[in-house]
Amino acid sequence: MSAILFDRIDEPGLATIDVYTRRGGYSALKKALAMPREAIIEELKVSGLRGRGGAGFSMGTKASFIPGAEIDKYLVCNADESEPGTFKDRELMQKKPHQLIEGMIISAYAVGANRSFIYIRGEYVLQAEMLERAIAEAKQAGHLGENIHGSGFSLDLVLQRGAGAYICGEETGLLDSLEGKRGNPRLKPPFPANEGLYKGPTLINNVETLATVPPIIEMGGAEYAKLGVENSAGTKLVSVSGNVQRPGNYEIELGISSREIIFGLAGGPEAGRSVKLWFPGGSSSPVLTADDLDLPYDFDSLAKAGSMLGSGAIIVVDDSVRVVDVALKLASFYRHESCGKCTPCREGTNWTVNMLERVQSGEATPMDLDIIASVQEQIIGNCLCVLGDAMAMPVGSLVAKFRPEFEAHIEAARERNGLGASQPAVEQPVLTI
Amino acid sequence: MPRPTEKTITFTIDGREVEAIEGAMLVDAARGGDIEIPVFCYEPKLGAPVGACRMCLVEIEGIPKLQTACSTPVRDGMVVNTGTERVKGAQQSVVEFLLVNHPLDCPVCDKGGECPLQDISFGWGRGNSRFIEPKRHFVKPLALSPLIAIDRERCILCYRGVRFSQEIAEDHQLVLLERGASTFVATFDGHPYVAPFSGNIVELCPVGALTSRAYRFRARPWDIEGSGSICSLCPAQCNVTFTVRDERVLRVLSRDHDGVDDGWLCDKGRFAYQATHSDERLTTPLVRDGEQLRPATWERALAVAAGISRHAGSAAALIGGETSNEEALLLSRLMRDGLDSYDIDSRSGGVLPLELLRSLANPALQATVPDLEFANTVLLLDADPVDDAPILDLRIRKGARRREMQVLVASGRPTALDARAAEAVRHAPGSGANIACALDAALSGDTQRSATLARDGGADPEAVVRLANLLREAGEDIVIVWGERLTDGPSGAAAAQALLRIADQLGLASRDGAGLLELSRGTNGRGLREVGALPNSAPGFGEPQREGRGWNEIATAAAAGQVTALWLLGSDPARDASNGEPWAKALASAGLVIAHASTLSPELGAHANVVFPAEAGAEREGTVTSPDGRIQRLRPAIGHGGQVMPTAAVIAAIADAVGFEPGFSTGSKATEAVAEAVGFYAGLTSDEIGGRGIRWQERDAASALPAGTAGETAAPPAAAASPNGSLRLGTYRSIWASPEVEISPALKFLSRSATVEISPEDAERIGIGNGQRVELGSNGSQLEAVAQLRSDVPEGSIFIESGLTSVGLSATEGELVEVTAK
Repeated sequence: MSAILFDRIDEPGLATIDVYTRRGGYSALKKALAMPREAIIEELKVSGLRGRGGAGFSMGTKASFIPGAEIDKYLVCNADESEPGTFKDRELMQKKPHQLIEGMIISAYAVGANRSFIYIRGEYVLQAEMLERAIAEAKQAGHLGENIHGSGFSLDLVLQRGAGAYICGEETGLLDSLEGKRGNPRLKPPFPANEGLYKGPTLINNVETLATVPPIIEMGGAEYAKLGVENSAGTKLVSVSGNVQRPGNYEIELGISSREIIFGLAGGPEAGRSVKLWFPGGSSSPVLTADDLDLPYDFDSLAKAGSMLGSGAIIVVDDSVRVVDVALKLASFYRHESCGKCTPCREGTNWTVNMLERVQSGEATPMDLDIIASVQEQIIGNCLCVLGDAMAMPVGSLVAKFRPEFEAHIEAARERNGLGASQPAVEQPVLTI
Repeated sequence: MPRPTEKTITFTIDGREVEAIEGAMLVDAARGGDIEIPVFCYEPKLGAPVGACRMCLVEIEGIPKLQTACSTPVRDGMVVNTGTERVKGAQQSVVEFLLVNHPLDCPVCDKGGECPLQDISFGWGRGNSRFIEPKRHFVKPLALSPLIAIDRERCILCYRGVRFSQEIAEDHQLVLLERGASTFVATFDGHPYVAPFSGNIVELCPVGALTSRAYRFRARPWDIEGSGSICSLCPAQCNVTFTVRDERVLRVLSRDHDGVDDGWLCDKGRFAYQATHSDERLTTPLVRDGEQLRPATWERALAVAAGISRHAGSAAALIGGETSNEEALLLSRLMRDGLDSYDIDSRSGGVLPLELLRSLANPALQATVPDLEFANTVLLLDADPVDDAPILDLRIRKGARRREMQVLVASGRPTALDARAAEAVRHAPGSGANIACALDAALSGDTQRSATLARDGGADPEAVVRLANLLREAGEDIVIVWGERLTDGPSGAAAAQALLRIADQLGLASRDGAGLLELSRGTNGRGLREVGALPNSAPGFGEPQREGRGWNEIATAAAAGQVTALWLLGSDPARDASNGEPWAKALASAGLVIAHASTLSPELGAHANVVFPAEAGAEREGTVTSPDGRIQRLRPAIGHGGQVMPTAAVIAAIADAVGFEPGFSTGSKATEAVAEAVGFYAGLTSDEIGGRGIRWQERDAASALPAGTAGETAAPPAAAASPNGSLRLGTYRSIWASPEVEISPALKFLSRSATVEISPEDAERIGIGNGQRVELGSNGSQLEAVAQLRSDVPEGSIFIESGLTSVGLSATEGELVEVTAK
C-alpha cells in the first residue's frame, strides 16, 4: 500500500510551501477550482470517505447538506484533538500543514463557504505556530484571499486556539467556543450544516478528513474507494499507544487485522507480557480483549464487536495493569472534562468516579459494581452530547468484561483495610408510596 | 410583523389521540392529552429550549434514542410514549442524578412545599436512595445581592437564572463558573447581582437555590394565600399576586399576563410591598398644630379638610399618577360640582388641547403592549422604558432578540436600549418636540425644514434624516413609543401634532400591529385623563363645563393668592415636578393644603394642614387604565393597616361634610359610575374586567370616543438654548425614585440621592471628577448633587434625577444651569 497522508511525511522541509509544492502540493486545488462544485462533492461521496474524527459520517453526504444558497457559510476544521490516546492530527499539522490547508480550500470551495477556521487545541503550541506560518505562506502564494487564482472564489482562513477543554472538540461546543462563548454543546437539531457558526450553515470536519481531500481530488473518488474494504474506504491514521514496544502513528489501509497493527506495526507488549484489553478507537470506545485481536480494523467489524473505530487511537493494556486503575483513570478524565450542562453526564461522571474510588481503596462491595453498571446504562443515550457516553461505554464494558477482577480487587482491598469479606446482597423490601 | 399562524394537527400520546398546535413543543402539546411531562430547565419565556436537565425524555416511535420533549416540536401523526419502562427508567435516573448532590434540607428550605424538585422526585423519582457518597459543599447561603440569597448546594444547574440574565434582561451579570460537577452560578466578577429585573430569577428557580432575602423564613406555603391584583407603581401595571400571611404582604409574584407583563416583574414591583408594613409609613391622619403636624383623630382631620368649603371657587386639585379612575372621578366631581372649582390637573407637563387628546386616543392609532414584540420596528421618542415602564424594556428586547425587530431611538438622555438601536439620535433635553417636528418634516421630504428644526433641537440633522429613512423602510408594523415628557411645556401641542402627522405618513392607523404607545408619568396617567382629571376636559374627553387652570398655572395662581386651597391627591408637587421651587412657594401661600400621602416630604411637612394616610397598593380597590387602554382591577389583598381608610371613602366623607352628594364612593358602584361618566367605557363592570382586564378599544363602546382633529397648527417649537458655557438641564425619573423604595428595608440600598449625570468633556472643563459634590444654579436657586460622569451623555447637557424628596431648582427641562465644583 502506498501512503496517502503520510506520503514522504518525514521529508525535511515538507511543512514549507516550497517543498510541499515541489512534491505536487496545491495541484489538487488548481484541479478542483476548475471543477463544478457539485462534482467535487460527488467525488467525495464516491470516495466513501468517512469522517476521521470519531463519528465516521460520510464527508460527501455531510457536505451535500450545506444549502446552496448565497448566504454566509462557514468551514471549520476541528483540530481540538483531545481524546486520550489520539495524536495523529498533531503529526499531520506539524509535518504537512499545507495538505490540511489545501483540503480546507477545496472543501470550502465545494460548499461555497467564504470563511474558514481551524480550531486547534490550546496545548498544540508548536503546531499552531507552524499552521500560522503555513497560512501566511498560502496567502502569499494566492491560495487564500480574494479571487483565488482567478476563480472568483474567495476564502479567509483563521486559526483559533482553544483554552484547554476536551468538550470543545465536540462540534457544537467548538462552535460556541469559537463564537467567544462558554464551550458548551448545543442541542441538536439544528445541526451545524443548517445552523452552525454564527447561525450560518457550517461544514465541520476533522483534520485528517480534510487532509484526505486533496489526494481524493488528485486520484479521483473511485480510485480512492478501491482502498480499504466495503463501508470503510481508504487509509486511516492510527495512533497506537500504551503497552506496546513501538508506539506511534501508522497509516494503514482499513480492513487489515488488528493484530497486524498492534503486533506487526507497534511491536506488541514487551516480552513476557500479554494483551489484557485494548481500546480500538480512543479512550471512549468500549474495550475489547485479547480474544478480539483478529478483528479486521474497519468501521463495521469493530461496531459488530460492540465497540467502534472512533478516532483510530488504539490503546493497549497488558496484564501488568490493574483494570480498576484503568476504569478510575478513565472516569476521572471524563469527570474533569464534563461541561456540566446536562444532568446525566455532570452527575453521572462524578458519581462513577466516587464509586470507583471506593472500589479502588477497598470501601466498596460487589453491590457497588451493580450500581456502577446501572449508572453507566442510565447515562448512555440520555445526554445532551456524547461526552457522557464516552465515559459510560468504556467503563460499562470494563465492569462487564472484567467483573471477576473487580470483585477480587474489592475483596483483597477490604481484607487489607480490615473490613472483612463483603456480605452477600440482601434484597430489601422497597416501600412503595 | 404578522403573528405566526397556528395549524392544528393530531398526534398520539400514550395511546390517546390529541390535538395540538403544529410546532408546539411536546411538553406543551402533551398537556392537551392531560399528560404531564416533568421539566426543570424548560421555560418557554426564556427563549429556545436548552435540553440541559434531561428530565423530559420521552420515546418517539421511529427515533431510536429517547428525545427531550421540551425541544421536540410535535408533528402530525407523531406517536409518543411517556409511560414505558424505558422512559420511566430515564426519568428515575435523572431525578436520582439530581439528588446525588442536592441536600435534603427541605425542612429548613424556603422552597419546601412549593418546590418542583420535591414534586418531581415524588412523582417520577425512584423512591429509594442508592448513594452514600458525600455531597458537594459550598458556603451557604451567600448574598448574591442585597435582595437575593444563593445556596449553591441546592442548585441543580438548570440554567434558568443564567439564561434570564443573559437572554431576557440582557444584563449579562450571571454566569456559570467552573465546569462539570464543580459548576456553580455566580456573577462574572463577584460583584452583587444588582439589576432592575434581578428578582425574576427567584421566581424562575425550580429549587431553593435562589431565594428572596426579604421572604426567607417568613412563611411556609401552607401558611400563605395568594391574592391577585395589579402593581400600581408604574404605568406598566404588571399583574401580580400578593402572598399574604396574617394580613401582611410577604411577597409579590408575577401573575403572567401576555398582554401586559409577559410574566416578568421589576425589582421595585417585586420588593416595594415592604413599604406597606414599614414603620416609616403614615398610618394615622395628621393635622397641623402650629409648626408641627401631629397625629389626630379622623373626626378632627376630616373637619379640617371640610374647611375647603370656605375656599369654594378658589380651590385646586392635583391628582397623582397612582390615583384610580374612581378616586379621580370622585374628587373631580366634588371639585367641580360641589366646590365650583375647575383647577384640576393630573399632567405636570402642561395642558394639551382637548382636540389633540382625542386624536391621540384614537383606537386605530393605538399600539398594544404585545405589538412591541411583533412589530417590524419600534421607535422610542423621548422615552426610556427601563425607567418609564420597566417591564416594556424586556418586551422590546424580546422582539429585537427573537424576531430581529429594529429598534430606533430619539431621546435627550441616553437610553438602556441604545446598544440595541439601529440609530440613536440625541437631542437637547426638553427639545423632543423639535425632533418630532424635524422627523415629520424629513418624512415629508422637506429636508431643509427638518435640518433647521433638528439643529434647533440640538440634534444632528443627518441623523434625523437617517432615522426618517429607516422608518420609511422599516416594514409595515411600526410602533412609536413616546414619553409623556415629549408633550411637556409650550411646545407640547406642536409635538403632539407632529406625532399625529408622523403616524399618518407612516400609515399606522391602517394596521393592527402598528401605532402609538404613550408612556405616561403616572401609573394611571391614561385613566386619569380619560376620566377627566384635566383642566380642559370632562370625563371621556367631553367638552368641559368650564376650563380651569393647569398644573403650572395652579402653582403661579396659588403663589399669587388666586388659588387658596390645594388638594394633593397622592401628589407631591415638590417631588413630582422637575421645578420644585415654584411649588414650595405655592404651598406656603395656600390657606389650606390637604394631602394624601404615605410618607412626608419636607414640603408637605412644612405646609400641609391635613395629611390623610394613603393606602398601600395591596389595600387598594378600583380600576386603572394601562398605556394601551387596558382597564384593570386593583383588588385588595389585605385589610387596611393602622387607621388607614380607603381614599375614596375619605373623599366621600369630606364631600358629605361640605354638603355634596357625589352619588358613589367605593366598590363596584364607583366603577359603574366611571363607566357611566366616560362614554367609551360605557357598560363596563367589575365582572367584565375580571382578573385579566379588558382593553376599551376592543369593546363596542369605543365608538363613543369623540373624534379629534389636529386642531390649529401650533407654533413651531422654540430653539434649544445654546449651552455657551452653561449646561442644558435634563431630568429623568429612575425606577428607584419613589417613596416606596425609600421606606422598603430591602430596597433602601437602591434609593437615590441627588446626582447629576455629566459628560466627561464637560466635567473636565469645569474641573470636576466622578463622585464629586457639585452645585447647580439657575435663576437664583441652588441644588447640591453628586457628579456622575457618563460617557454617553452628550456634551452640553446634564441630567438630574427627579422624583426625589426635594429638588429645589427653579428651572425646567432644557433651561440653562451653571455647574460649579463644591
